[in-house]
Amino acid sequence: MSSPSAALARPAATTGRPLVRLPKTRGFRAFVGLGVFFLVWQLLTTTGIVDGFMLPSPIAVAEALWQMAIDGSLWVHLGASLQRVAIGYLIACVVGIALGLLCGWWRTVSDYVRPVIEALRPIPPLAWIPITILWFGLGDAASYFLVFLGAVFPAFVATYTAVRSLDRNQMNAALCLGAKPSMLLFDVLIPASLPIVLPGLRIALGIGWMCVVTAELIAAQTGLGYLIQQSRTLFQINNVVAGMVTIGLVGLAMSAALEQVERRVNAWAPSERL
Amino acid sequence: MTMTKAAAAAPSGPSAQIEIGNVGKVYGTAGDGAVIALDGVSLTIARGEFVSLLGPSGCGKSTLLNILAGFQPATTGRILQDGHPITGPDPSRTVVFQDYALFGWMTVQKNVEFGLKAKGVGRAERAERARALIDTVRLTGFEDKYPHEISGGMKQRAAIARALAPDPDILLMDEPFGALDAQTRVLLQEEIARISSEAGKTVVFVTHGIEEAVFLADRVVVMSPRPGRIREEVLVPLPRPRTAEMRSDPWFVSTVSELWETLKPDWQKEEEVS
Repeated sequence: MSSPSAALARPAATTGRPLVRLPKTRGFRAFVGLGVFFLVWQLLTTTGIVDGFMLPSPIAVAEALWQMAIDGSLWVHLGASLQRVAIGYLIACVVGIALGLLCGWWRTVSDYVRPVIEALRPIPPLAWIPITILWFGLGDAASYFLVFLGAVFPAFVATYTAVRSLDRNQMNAALCLGAKPSMLLFDVLIPASLPIVLPGLRIALGIGWMCVVTAELIAAQTGLGYLIQQSRTLFQINNVVAGMVTIGLVGLAMSAALEQVERRVNAWAPSERL
Repeated sequence: MTMTKAAAAAPSGPSAQIEIGNVGKVYGTAGDGAVIALDGVSLTIARGEFVSLLGPSGCGKSTLLNILAGFQPATTGRILQDGHPITGPDPSRTVVFQDYALFGWMTVQKNVEFGLKAKGVGRAERAERARALIDTVRLTGFEDKYPHEISGGMKQRAAIARALAPDPDILLMDEPFGALDAQTRVLLQEEIARISSEAGKTVVFVTHGIEEAVFLADRVVVMSPRPGRIREEVLVPLPRPRTAEMRSDPWFVSTVSELWETLKPDWQKEEEVS
């Protein structure tokens, strides 16, 4: 790597050190990016470029969040949303992975099932709301169902793709080395599939999280979506945005956590190392 | 040049390890779409014999190897191993693939241990036996590397160690050096010459390289394409283990060039087809 750019960089480092040496970790950069975002937002609202009635400042939102954290309502709503997304997402994973395995493994099953799935997939969860309320009423079950609808398709597509792209020779190698079905599954099929399946499951969780809020906007009495909806009817715009910020940050945390898991599990796959 | 008919060269009786009797393989349904990959192939391979299957692409040599491995059934005819029909993959017949087919999520050590684990060998013993095999293929020091961290030649060494681990009777090699550069190829040919005469296994070696076929084998089985048939057999009188200087042996040089002359039309035809 003794490229000209490296040679040019060296004298600069010895003669004039930069004033602040920024850590090069991904986490630090994420922190800076978010910080700048909130700073710009704050400036826009304090200078009056954006009317505080149309969009409250981050400080006002933080105060609203703090209030709700102290009186406990934030945790009640957050907890309700998390529980719903967890249950709906788990069901979606089980069904999506199972269908993906079946369709990936047996061509005939795929020929029958995939057209149905591909026809259901384009229907947005929002369009399912009337029929969801008809079936499940206004309760947790409706939320589970909408989360399930949002998450099941990406989970299916990821699993199906992973199984279809398994290396025939690796399977044959395992078989001729005497692998029993359990070893074939746990030592070959699953680890070989994870680089494709895990990113799909991460996307599924993100969509599920969006769906739970959608569901709560309409068909629930708790949760972050309900909080937003209720605050809107009470003209508490600060609380509306506080709810949105919470949704965003929790979503960010979930996806960052899963990405961390992926990086560890798929460390062996060269294509996954960014 | 010693060129004999199949019947004359074929060893038989108790020393026969593999008996291929009039084997045919047809892909697709009978009719216009059917492709005859193998047609009336008969071959007997003695215990401990090293046989090269030589021919241009499309001559069915890899198909024959896959049938021997038990990865796919023959359409007609029968294949016996020690008198018993081959019905599926078995650790008494392990395969070395052209694309290595190593398990990317396992270290070299774990890859080599795979067949031992499948056999139920205990943790400590399989670590020790794998280390010994890694030493045999001269990969000591790379036990903890993942396949994507090592060169193509090293990958194939690891794959050879992995195939030797279950202590198979028969080693099946499917163009194992096809993806390697010329120098690495020559080095690995000499390694295979050494390892195969040390291990005393029956080896079936599929290749389209005339030189390596003659250099390694006790008997070169030349195949011709469309449909895949055995065209002639060449007994190699050179002693084993084969060493680098045998490449300049007059018999070796003239045999290689005569084989090239006989195979040239087939190669040219394949060139035009593809």
